[in-house]
Amino acid sequence: MDRSLPVWVVTALLLALLMLLPLGWLVALSVSGEGGGLASYRAALSDPHLRKALWNTLVLAFWVGIFSLAVGAPMAWLTARSDLPGKRAVRALMLASFVTPPFLGAFAWVMLAGPNAGLLNKFWRDVTGAEGPLIDIFTMPGLIFATTLYTFPYVFIMIANTLELIASDLEEAASILGARRLTVALTVTLPMVAPAIASGFILAVLQALALFGSPAILAMPAGFHTITTQIWSYFQYPPKIELAAAASMPLLVATGLLLYLQKRVLGRRGYASVGGKSGQRRTIPLGALRWPAFVACLAVMACSIFLPYGVLAKAALSRAWAQPLTWDNFTLNNVWFTFWQYSATKDAIVNTLELGIMTATVGALLAALLAYTVNRKLVPGSQFLPFLVLAPVVIPGVVLAVGLFIAYTRPPLILYGTLWIMFAAFVTKELPIGYSQSDATFRGVHVELEEAGRILGAGRLRVLREITAPLARSGIIATWCFVFIGVIRELSASIILFTPNTKVMSVVIMDLKEEGQFGAIAVLGLFMLLMTFATVALMQQLLGRDVLGVRE
Amino acid sequence: MPGVTIRGLTMRYGDVAAVEALDLDVAPGELVALLGPSGCGKTTTLRLVAGFLEPEAGEIRVGDRLLSSPAGVVPPERRKMAMIFQSYALWPHMTVAQNVAYGLRFGRHLARADRAGRVREILRAVQLSGYESRYPGELSGGQQQRVAVARSLVVEPEILLLDEPLSNLDANLREEMRFEIRRLHEAFGITTLYVTHDQAEAMVISDRIAVLEHGRVAQVGTAEDLFERPATRFVAQFIGRTNLVDCVVTEPGLVAHDGLRLRVATADAKAGASVAVSIRPHAITLISGESARVTSDGDNVLTGVLKRASYLGAGLDYEVDVAGVILRVAAPAGARVAPGTRVTLVVPIARCLPLPAA
Repeated sequence: MDRSLPVWVVTALLLALLMLLPLGWLVALSVSGEGGGLASYRAALSDPHLRKALWNTLVLAFWVGIFSLAVGAPMAWLTARSDLPGKRAVRALMLASFVTPPFLGAFAWVMLAGPNAGLLNKFWRDVTGAEGPLIDIFTMPGLIFATTLYTFPYVFIMIANTLELIASDLEEAASILGARRLTVALTVTLPMVAPAIASGFILAVLQALALFGSPAILAMPAGFHTITTQIWSYFQYPPKIELAAAASMPLLVATGLLLYLQKRVLGRRGYASVGGKSGQRRTIPLGALRWPAFVACLAVMACSIFLPYGVLAKAALSRAWAQPLTWDNFTLNNVWFTFWQYSATKDAIVNTLELGIMTATVGALLAALLAYTVNRKLVPGSQFLPFLVLAPVVIPGVVLAVGLFIAYTRPPLILYGTLWIMFAAFVTKELPIGYSQSDATFRGVHVELEEAGRILGAGRLRVLREITAPLARSGIIATWCFVFIGVIRELSASIILFTPNTKVMSVVIMDLKEEGQFGAIAVLGLFMLLMTFATVALMQQLLGRDVLGVRE
Repeated sequence: MPGVTIRGLTMRYGDVAAVEALDLDVAPGELVALLGPSGCGKTTTLRLVAGFLEPEAGEIRVGDRLLSSPAGVVPPERRKMAMIFQSYALWPHMTVAQNVAYGLRFGRHLARADRAGRVREILRAVQLSGYESRYPGELSGGQQQRVAVARSLVVEPEILLLDEPLSNLDANLREEMRFEIRRLHEAFGITTLYVTHDQAEAMVISDRIAVLEHGRVAQVGTAEDLFERPATRFVAQFIGRTNLVDCVVTEPGLVAHDGLRLRVATADAKAGASVAVSIRPHAITLISGESARVTSDGDNVLTGVLKRASYLGAGLDYEVDVAGVILRVAAPAGARVAPGTRVTLVVPIARCLPLPAA
């Protein structure tokens, strides 16, 4: 008997427990409300507020998907295949917008495009003398806009990575047979990228469906809900947990369906054969459109990076954020207030860091063990583990939080009110990303390297320690970074699971918003971004390549 | 030094049998090549011997130690074997010396100084002295290959396994390494299983060759056995080129295909049976014109029309139509016969081998 077997079995069991407990309780409670059976569902679905919220969510997700595609696809093509100037800069900015927490972006856009005090609107009124605002961010279009800005990178990554795998000789083969450039694009390139386009769209829709922060900041003040904020509102006093559980189900079904669809789309037509190995990729000259295209890319990046970051920086250093940043208006008081006077901040930072480090360490380790178990087929039935590991992808943070709340507010494990419940939420939520990363890492370690050690006399665990671990090290640390970034920006699960002693940074930002402390939000938000970018830089260093290139 | 005994070895992937009821004996100190096309089960067999896979049926013994059976499998690390992989599997994070020394830490306990000495010695044997502190990434393909060989030999394994070790080298280097591996085998005398799909490689390197087909051993023997006395159609075709003529036995020792009638080497098959007659292209002598001079009790004499002649430098390759059957003839370089010419083919009866038809 292989002495290492218990390690793999325990890992697999731990995973099953982590996933199945909250989901099981979620389903159980959703059918056990007053009246039993489907009563909660009837109550939830006949609630006009919830129906409206569901409809709003669909509208939001659909348009975010469309606009993400409209922005992300051309930019992907431009950076991957054309002679666009400043490609590296565009990619770097794309990465920045990818890791920017959407709720920070939404918040920045409140300061930019709030109907009264929004800087862009003030500027508009000053210039044109008009009465009304140019844009009102507190509307459905405003919400769609602010969400798209941080969602289109998903589409960009999917398409850019695929385009970069298509060797030019596939297109040249069509040209030499007599196809014109447009025909080549329509008959060869586009069909090969089509799965990536569809899949990018679905990914964007998924993001928008599960999003809590942006609707909380932009929709709720305007008096409308999405499904996530609606679920959150069921947790406000008096809590209606059964309703929350029942309301979670449509969201869960929708995300599950979409992911299934994405798998189908990607699975067909030998997508893997796009893996052109050494083929040259020709860049296509844009001619006169070269600089206009660059300006268009910059304009997009201005909306998602320059303007929001700028207004955050301005607010961080201003006494009154809406006033021009003159010497009189300049202050460091916000920094002082945020870190020293406002009592919740320090605890929140400590909590966030503690959770970040714990989750990243345990998550990366668990993901690595699982990926290794699956890759090397160490337990019977290991081919089913990935389904379980990747399952949280379909669970929106809010829904997961509802499940965890139900599961861990009752025996045998009462974790509510401790950091542990958030730890469980984060590990679960980050496992898919961590697993995908680790999986790629272990695929890169040829199994013969391990077998060579075995046949010379080293046991499996020794081979794991002396051969596999050193080779997988940088990949595993990168996984750690991915998880860490995910944790410090997490909002949608934290907002339901936090208690006064277990606030994290994102929750404090939401609190500060209630109090109208814009300067403090800006300071804390920038601090959060700083931590994120430091981690990204570390990760780039370790992987020795573009982080976006490996992300699904 | 023990040998390897394989009995009834069976391994399935789903419904597909990769290895089925395979028997094979490797004598102590012998080098046996497992030869076959891709998918014939040769690599699976090797991995079963190494202990990376568990057999569904059958057993593997080394000497009198039972290593694999459905009841249990001794893990690879306790088999006292070494293996050279197709990818070489050199650890990129270790230097050449660290790679080679790795296996010396297990089994017999050698003092650190002794280990270093052994590493130096074996690196000299594979002509890599001075490369101790290089990393595998800094070596050429041939040098990496030698490191892999050194790493396996230094532990003095009871059994050495090689999985297509030369397939990643370019043609010239491959030919050189064939002789090198044979030389090392003669120097060290380790019982060896060598997997390859390249018949020339198997012929140069091995003492005996086991030809595998659909997970079974089709025939085992020396290169000469297999070439001169193939047991099946598959072996005749796989080892060297051959003409295969589907015939019906008309009377013992005599077969026919339409108008083509041949006397064959053996008279075992009954009249009416189907056989495939194998005739090596170089066993046929081609004479221009219809020569009545050539008649001999020991030969088949056939007439036909030359269809095509190709100049190959060292010789000529002819295609001759004999009563509707195309036979290929390998002739020494010399006067070339033009296509369209009527020719006479002389085929010794002893070189016409009737083989089971399907």
